[in-house]
Amino acid sequence: MTHDDGRLAAIFHHGAADASIALAKWLGRPAALSVERLETLPIVEAAAVMGSSETLICGCAMRIDGAIGGLLLLAADDDAGLSLADTLLERPAGTSTSWGDLERSAVIETANIVGCAYLNAICAALGSAGADGILPSPPVFLRDFPESMMEAVLMEQTVLSDIVLLARTEFRIDGTPVGCGLVFLPDAASVAALLPPASDSGAST
Amino acid sequence: MNPGDVPPTVAHAGDSVAIGQIGIAKGSGVLRTFVGSCVGLVLHARSQRAAGLAHVMLPVSNGRGTSPGKYADTAVAETLRLLREATGETTLACTAKLVGGATMFAFQSGTPIGEQNVLALEQILADLGIPITGRICGGRHGRRVAVDVVTGTVTVETAGHGTETLV
Repeated sequence: MTHDDGRLAAIFHHGAADASIALAKWLGRPAALSVERLETLPIVEAAAVMGSSETLICGCAMRIDGAIGGLLLLAADDDAGLSLADTLLERPAGTSTSWGDLERSAVIETANIVGCAYLNAICAALGSAGADGILPSPPVFLRDFPESMMEAVLMEQTVLSDIVLLARTEFRIDGTPVGCGLVFLPDAASVAALLPPASDSGAST
Repeated sequence: MNPGDVPPTVAHAGDSVAIGQIGIAKGSGVLRTFVGSCVGLVLHARSQRAAGLAHVMLPVSNGRGTSPGKYADTAVAETLRLLREATGETTLACTAKLVGGATMFAFQSGTPIGEQNVLALEQILADLGIPITGRICGGRHGRRVAVDVVTGTVTVETAGHGTETLV
């Protein structure tokens, strides 16, 4: 099946733009999300999208239901996640050195606020197909191997297919990439909504 | 690789066994993988100094045959077939070890998929008369798995919880 890549990119860039506003407001400083990857991938490649390191990373996962369903993961290396916590807790950089309740809460709230802004904007860009909005689960915090984390995110999306649609954004704070971003894997029904055949998308020739 | 291409199914010693794949090695070497909710199925033929490692994602294939390592019901048979092929033996005395099946995100209702994977593999191995000589399953964390092909020893590092060995 062919699909309209331009339309898909526009939808996710719209999501990233709204999420950028939410992130900047939440952090109280210039911040933005950029769409780094947006593609259909074999699961083997999708599982390796965050690398194969033996170093643990942190993540907050949210199951998304509603007009757009799937799994959303905010993933960060430890330094980036703890730095984010310092910013939100208004501490000097480098204060947070381990994952206590406060640090976890800071990252969980970031996932909630930025993730919902991102997916709500994607729903809005879908028009009537996205009118029902999203119903996110509470975020779940974890520290784990990057491949194990991605595997768990992929699990439910690969029951019916060996191919997944994957969207990955990166955070920039004060103009600099910070080693933190969102990964979204829409479920099969949402992939169909996001990737209608080109002939159905209204594109003119 | 282009989207839609079927990835290689079989990895070899020294390779990391990717999600849904099967790794086979004989004579020497180590097979490695990472698992979360998936299960690492290790089959070891001590006399032939050969081992297989399947990275199983789901309990049943429902007739889908393109990725035999992905499903419990096809991974056991395919790993055995590849081991027979690698050793040149028509019958093999194998033992099994299971690692993984964690519930990393508790979003699902009912039996978590990781637990379903473990239960499916246990049933299939029992039906085939293959003894399970070690397992580190369940919990909430991912695991790094390394299989010594000669001895069948499996080293398991659970994220944030140290390393254990299945002999």
